[in-house]
This record gives sequence, structure tokens and C-alpha cells, in this order.
Amino acid sequence: MRSPLINRSPLPGMALSAGITLTLLSLVVLLPIGALLLKGATAGLPSLWAEVNTPRIWGALYLSFRLSLIAALINLVFGVALAWVLVRYRFPGRRFLDAAVDLPFALPTAVAGIALTALYAPNGAFGAIARDLGFKIAYTQSGILIALIFVGLPFVTRTVQPVVAEIEREVEEASATLGATRAYTLRRVVLPMLAPAAMTGFALSLARAVGEYGSVIFIAGNIPLKTEIAPLLIVIKLEEFNYVGATAIGIAMLLISFAMLLLINAIQVFSRRRIGYV
Amino acid sequence: MSDAPITHSRPAHRPPTHRPVTTESPGFRYALIAVVVLFLAFLLFAPLVAVFAEALSKGAIEAVTSLANPEATSAIKLTLIVAAVAVPLNAVFGIAAAWLITKYDFRGKALLITLIDLPFSVSPVVAGLCLVLTFGANTAIGGWMVAQGYPIVFALPSIILASMFVTFPFVARELIPVMIEQGRAEEEAALTLGASGWRIFFTVTLPNIRWALLYGVLLCNARAMGEFGAVAVVSGKIRGQTATMPITIEMLYNEYLSVAAFSLAAVLALLALLTLTLKTLLEWRFADQLAAAHRP
Amino acid sequence: MQIEIDHISKEFGATAALHPVSLSIPSGALVALLGPSGSGKTTLLRILGGLEFPTAGRVLFDATDATNLTVQDRRAGFVFQSYALFRHMTVFENIAYGLRARPRAQRPAKAEIARRVTKLLELIQLPDIGARYPSQLSGGQRQRVALARALAIEPRMLLLDEPFGALDARVRKELRAGLREIHDTTGLTTIFVTHDQDEAMELADLVVVMSMGRIEQIGRPQDIRARPATAFVKEFLAV
Repeated sequence: MRSPLINRSPLPGMALSAGITLTLLSLVVLLPIGALLLKGATAGLPSLWAEVNTPRIWGALYLSFRLSLIAALINLVFGVALAWVLVRYRFPGRRFLDAAVDLPFALPTAVAGIALTALYAPNGAFGAIARDLGFKIAYTQSGILIALIFVGLPFVTRTVQPVVAEIEREVEEASATLGATRAYTLRRVVLPMLAPAAMTGFALSLARAVGEYGSVIFIAGNIPLKTEIAPLLIVIKLEEFNYVGATAIGIAMLLISFAMLLLINAIQVFSRRRIGYV
Repeated sequence: MSDAPITHSRPAHRPPTHRPVTTESPGFRYALIAVVVLFLAFLLFAPLVAVFAEALSKGAIEAVTSLANPEATSAIKLTLIVAAVAVPLNAVFGIAAAWLITKYDFRGKALLITLIDLPFSVSPVVAGLCLVLTFGANTAIGGWMVAQGYPIVFALPSIILASMFVTFPFVARELIPVMIEQGRAEEEAALTLGASGWRIFFTVTLPNIRWALLYGVLLCNARAMGEFGAVAVVSGKIRGQTATMPITIEMLYNEYLSVAAFSLAAVLALLALLTLTLKTLLEWRFADQLAAAHRP
Repeated sequence: MQIEIDHISKEFGATAALHPVSLSIPSGALVALLGPSGSGKTTLLRILGGLEFPTAGRVLFDATDATNLTVQDRRAGFVFQSYALFRHMTVFENIAYGLRARPRAQRPAKAEIARRVTKLLELIQLPDIGARYPSQLSGGQRQRVALARALAIEPRMLLLDEPFGALDARVRKELRAGLREIHDTTGLTTIFVTHDQDEAMELADLVVVMSMGRIEQIGRPQDIRARPATAFVKEFLAV
């Protein structure tokens, strides 16, 4: 039997809260996304495809996705390590470090962008060292990578931290009493328990990186086919008043976002069903 | 028998210091701490220091003077206006959505939550594009509004909408888990005591969620003031009119006005630090009243 | 295995969890550490298991000093109060864990591991649950799986922390009989911690009553009942 559409409740305010919620949700989010899809539908698949199917756009989408994936992988490794250190170890400055992890959430992307560029440009503090060693960071793909690691940094840590805090010590002790070394316990007991949360954080970090604009454009150099990211192409198309072109890239990126949203949900459903927790 | 005196006949046997079985060796611990601290130093702390170092590279006077220039002041004013409109609207939305989701049972709740979370996974640039395609001068709505003399895109309304879009889920996301945890019993009790809906909200619900609300508003505000990608697309970047602080930072930076760009950036960085500090204080002080994920 | 606890004390910072206690446990005995919470009984059990290390004193297994033996080397089958099953592993993988964790040279072959796990599942009378996850088991089933997992490493002794604590009365009764049976089949020296005097009296050969980090009385259940040694024991049993 299906549940009724709405269960009657004695608490007042349902109509009002539903009204506010749906009005604002429609006006701010649904209508605009609908407009994008409608624009795509009116243009038709063939013309959207023609817009997307150019080496420059494929190059940008591929670059965005590839670098985001690498950045998210790096954040996965360091994020798990950071979560472990922050929850398990006691050392001076721990609380400060813990608070600082959220900096990429709080610092505006444009600020991060120019700051990273100032540091990693050939005349910057770190960039100069790199130049002396014979390579370049800013205005190359490495620069983009650094910006993407920056913006995605907190996601894995913040999703994994509560899970580390909830691991029962007894489970690790059980592993030790069964003869497992500490390394074996970490590999076979602890990491698998953190995996679902870590994967969720990874996907969030990836989604954020693929769509990131502000912190990247300053450090990227924006050379077509080399360091030009997908979101920048939307801006360029709009500046050329090529709305169909912008729509085509926008829809492509929206699809990537949806795919990742589905992935996150699938991870959570899967781990909840199998292990009984996320 | 165990009441026997503690004095031992044999020399006291002191085992070597053992570490608990649930910790790693000290060497491993220090190495791991060193690695993450270095990682954060290069990626988080160095850029933060760089902002202030660049802003002050020609002295504090130069930095402060650059903030007094009309371009900067109008950007600061615009950003404050945008936040003053977008943040309260999102707070109202967040409260309404959290009330709807946690106080009633209805079909499609999961879909509603997904839709509220949607802006988190949409690129800000795509969000801006969506707004241009909805409210731009060559669209039905936008064209009509332009004819009435109230353009949306390349004007204040679209900047507010863009800021709202990217920060849309913040408040709701903080409130929903807290309100789920608190359940409905207190509100229902108030109801049986004859309280009206608004009275219940202000005297029962709001006191329970105020710190979570403040937490959400804080994050929403930081993001709204700092939003770049979505605003860059919809604002048209008209100097002195639609250039917010982040947009102005970009313009100044591209014109090689480094001190001016970084001084403005330093103001936003200070705001970010203030946000982080308040947020951390909330986490320490009111941990029990925040969503489980934020309890240190 | 014969276990000798020789003037073991344990301090956590300034507080003494165990005043020097001594206790001799004959090989093959089924012993209950009985006492209220805070009596030090769990600390003593954890010291035997190698999960805590005493501040002073010695532990001897079959007259060999085992005080500084690491938890991995002790081969003490430990059953935790919460069972501490690995939630991301099936029941089979949980039981096989200790065998698979051995260094390659000592690790039994795959088929041998499977054979032993199957045998243990039969021993705990749950032959068909190997493929399930702990979240799909009842409390009583989880307890028995935890027991099988501890037995898989061919332990030298069996240590159980409040093994029936989280179960309802009916299951508790059933599992008591199960533990007795497993003890009798394996012949392992078995020590369990409990705050429930009926459980201790009904199940154990030897009961050790503890309070405030001290041993109040050691004896057979009927002797303790008949002749409580201290006022504390008398009062505790009267409840």
C-alpha cells in the first residue's frame, strides 16, 4: 500500500512553509535550470552536438575532468590522513588545524585564485623555487591542479572525520587480539570502514573541482587546448553571444554533475544496505 | 587476600612503556602529522599569508588608500547590499524548508531534499548561465522586465539571484538534521497547551535551532559575499555599478593594480577568518545544538 | 593453560584501577570475575588479554612470564562486550580474519581456512550464516559469531568481557549453556567478566569477587554463597 500523499499533521504552517519553499526553490533554482534545458531542447540535439563537438571544447572538458579527478584523488589520500590525524592524535595546534581545514569553504574563490597565482607564478615565493629547478607551476596544468586541490580540500576530511570518531576502539582491539599487526588492522579493518565516507567526500570534491571557476582562471593561463577549463568556455561563449554554444557546454557539465550526484547517492545506499551505516 | 600490603618481596617489576594497541608507533604518528601539516602549509596557510603580504607590499598606507578609491567603495557597498538581501531570503527559505521537511510527512520528500541540494553540485558558471537564459534581455521574462525599466541580468537583481543560487542549501542543510534530531514532541506539546503556530515557532522551535541557524547564516553569508563565477556571468561587470568585491578584485588584478586587488582581497580574507573563528566558537560552545557532523 | 597473576596493579594517572592483586587460575578452569562496575574486573581481563599493561606485577602463562608479550603474540581469544564484529565483513570473513592476518609462512591454505570456519560455524550451531553481514544477525547470533572468531585463532585461553550483557533474559540463559558446552569441548581456560552474580554462580567453576580494584574472595560458587569472606561479598550477594 502506498503511503498517502500527505499525512495530516496537527502542527500548523504546512501551507505557508510549503509555499515559501516551493516559490523560492522554483524561482531561484528550478526555473533557471529548466530554462537551460529548454534552451537546449529548442536548439535541438544536432546543433548542441555540433557546438560541443569541437577539439577545443572536448579538450576543455577532458582537461577539466582529468585534472579534477587527479585533484580529488590527492584530496582523498590527504583528506583521510588529515581526518585520522585530527581525530586520533593529540598535538599542539590540533584544534587550530582543525578549524583551518574549512578555509577553502570560507575564502572567496577569486581571493584564493590570485593568492595561489602570486605564490606559484614564476616570480612568486614558491614559483621562483620551481623556476630555479627548471619547471613552471602557474599558467600550466600543475597550477590548475593546485587550485583544484585547494577548493576540494575540506570535503574528504569533513566527511571522514565523524566516521573516524565513531569507530569503536574495541573493533581495532579485536583485530589485535586476533593476531593482526597494526598495519594489517589499518588496512583491513579501519580503511574499509572509512571507505564509504571517503568515497562520498571524493565525489563531492570531484564535483566541486569540475565546476570550479574563480580560483582556476587566474592561475590557469587559459591557453586553448592546453590550460583552458570547461567553465571558462561557457563564459567565452556568452561573451560572444553564442547562447547555443554556452547552453551545450552547460548541459554537458550539468550531466556530469548529475552523474556524480547519482554516484554519491549510490555509494550511500550501497553502504547503508550492506553494512548498516554510512 | 588482596588487602595484603603493597610492599613487594621481589624488586618491583616495571614493564617497558607500552603504547595502547589502538595507536600507531610514535615514528609513524610524527611522520603523518608532519606530512599533513606540510600539505596544509603549502596549500592553505601560504596563500592566506600571500594575500596580506601582497596587500601590504607597498606599506599599509598604500593598502588602505586603495580601499578608499571609489571603485573599491562601490564594490564593498554592492557586496553588502547583495548579502543583505540574499542571506535573509535564504535564511527564510532554509527555515521554511526545514520546517516543511521535518514537521510533516508527505510523499516526494526525498526528491525535495535532492532538489534543495542541487545547487551544490552545479558549477557556479552554469548557474550564472541558467540565470542569463531565464532572465536575460532577450528572454520573455527578462525582455518584459527591461521594457518596464527593471532589467534583471547585468543588474542588481541577477547578482542577488546568483548569490542565492550558490548558497541556496546552506541554511536548510544545517537546520534539517538538527530539527530531525529534536523531533516534533516539543511543538506538539506546545500545541496541546494552546499555543498558536507563530508562538510555537518563536518560543519553542527557534530557541532550539538558533545556533544552527546562525551557523548556516554565517556560512551562507561568507559564500554570498565571495561568490565569483556565477556573479561574473550575470553581472556584466559594469564598473561602479555591478562589480562586486570579487569581480572588482579580478578587474584590478588584470590591470596589474596588485596592491589594490590584494587589499580588497585582504578584506574578504579577513571576513573569511572571522567566519571561521565564529564558526569554530559555535562548534565548541554549542556543539549539542549543531548538526552531529559539526561536533568536534 | 595455567594462568598466574602475580601482584598486578594498574594506575590510570592518579587513580588506581587495580591494587596489587594475585590470583592463580588452574588449567582448564571456567572462571568468573564478578563485581560491580569500577571494581577493576574488566581492567584485569584486559591485562590478561594484552590490551592494557600493568603498572607493576607479572602475568605468567604456564609458568612463563607473559607480562610483556604483545597482544598479537598472546593468542588470547577475546570476546568484547559489544562483540566488535567487523561490520564490513561477512560472518565467514570475520571468523577467518585471525587466520588470514597471519604472516604468509604461518597462514593456512585457503581450503583449510574454509574448513576451519565451517567447523566453527557448526560448533556455534549457526552453520548457514557464513555469507551474512553482522548487521543482519540477532544479538545472540552476533555473540556466538564473536566467540567463533576468537576460537578460530586456536587461542591458548578464552577471555570474555560481559559476554551476555547486551542480551535479553531468554537468550542469555541459552547462551550460558552454549558457553559451558564450548568450554567443555575445547577444554580452554576460560575467564569471563560479569556483574550478574547468578550468571557467575551458575556458570563458573571458580568465582573471583572484586570490588574497588581488590579481590574480595576467591572460591567455588557454593563456598562463596555459604561463607562470604567479607562484608562486601555478603552485601553484594544479598542484592
